[in-house]
Order: sequence, then structure tokens, then C-alpha cells
Amino acid sequence: MKTNFYEVTFIINPVLEEDQVKEVKEGFESFIKERGAEIDEVDEWGIKRLAYEIDGKNSGYYVNAYFHAPGAIVSDLERYFKLQENILRNIVLKYDNKMLKHRELQKKGKLPVIFSETPEVE
Amino acid sequence: MLKNPAHPKKGNLKEKECKFSRAGVVYIDYKDVDTLERFINDQGKILPRRVTGTSAKYQRQLALAVKRARHLGLLPFVAENLR
Repeated sequence: MKTNFYEVTFIINPVLEEDQVKEVKEGFESFIKERGAEIDEVDEWGIKRLAYEIDGKNSGYYVNAYFHAPGAIVSDLERYFKLQENILRNIVLKYDNKMLKHRELQKKGKLPVIFSETPEVE
Repeated sequence: MLKNPAHPKKGNLKEKECKFSRAGVVYIDYKDVDTLERFINDQGKILPRRVTGTSAKYQRQLALAVKRARHLGLLPFVAENLR
């Protein structure tokens, strides 16, 4: 079964308590696991200020997930996000090989530094 | 642009260097907000290539990354100047 590499980021309503937020996150993880996804990494940025108001809220709980999954998952996932009233915004990205290379660098922590205070010596 | 002699920029023709190709960037990530912020002005608009000197390939990736960041509320669509 051909799987692609996907990245999903979504914002959870910040008004919820800790356990509700966990519930939403676990709901997402089990949803994609049921559809044959193999989670690579899920990191949470916690509550961050939004740059503009999203349906009346000025901050949101960000969750960022990377996983391998068959292609059919995308349409179900997007419908799932629409049905969730606690998820304010979401984005689903399929990684092409350029982004995969970036992902490898990210994992190894050797991302190219674009703006370094010290003059670059390349 | 500079063919026309009366053009104000006729004098200084400092060649701006593309920061992304110099750093050897593979993909501009929309999550990397502090880099993206250097390429938008204080109203939140994306700076043009003639100002930043970015090469076309990276300017396209940059625009895509900024738009994705705006969608997720990481960057403002319109930033009031008191940001």
C-alpha cells in the first residue's frame, strides 16, 4: 500500500481545559491510526497568540503532526477536521522530496542558518 | 529598469545577494516564523524581490510559506503598525 508523508498542523480552541485538549489530540491520533497511518512525530507548541482573531479567539493551542499514510486518508481527515468544532484551523500538507530532505535535516538538527548574527563563513 | 538613463536608481547598482541560496536552503518552512518575518514589512505585506534580492525560486517558496503561515494565524494578513 503506497504511503505518502504528510504534515498536519491544527489549532485547538484554547478555552478548553487540559484534559479536553488531550482528548481532542488523542481523537485525532486514533482517527489517523485507524486509517493506516504510522505517526512519525507529534509535537505541541502549546498555547500561542494568534496574529488575528479566529472566531473570537486571540490565542490557540497548536498541534503539529508528521506521519506516513495512504493517500485516501486526506479527504477523510479534512472532513474530520470540519466536523470538529473545537479545532479552529487546520492545514494538511503532502511532503514532496524537497520537503523530505528538509525534514531529514530538521531531524538531524543541521538546518541551514539563514540569518546568523555572526557573519556567515560559507 | 536601468536601461532608462533618467531612472533614479541609475547610480547605485549594488548587487543584492539571495540569502536563501547563500545558506543553501532546501525548503522554506511556513513554521519558521522568525525567518519569514524578515521578509514582510510592518504592514504584514511580503517584500518584493527587488528589495530583498531573493532569487525567483525562493521568492515563490517564500510567498507560499507566508500565505500558509497567515492561514494558521502565525503571521497577520494586515498588521496594524502598533504590532
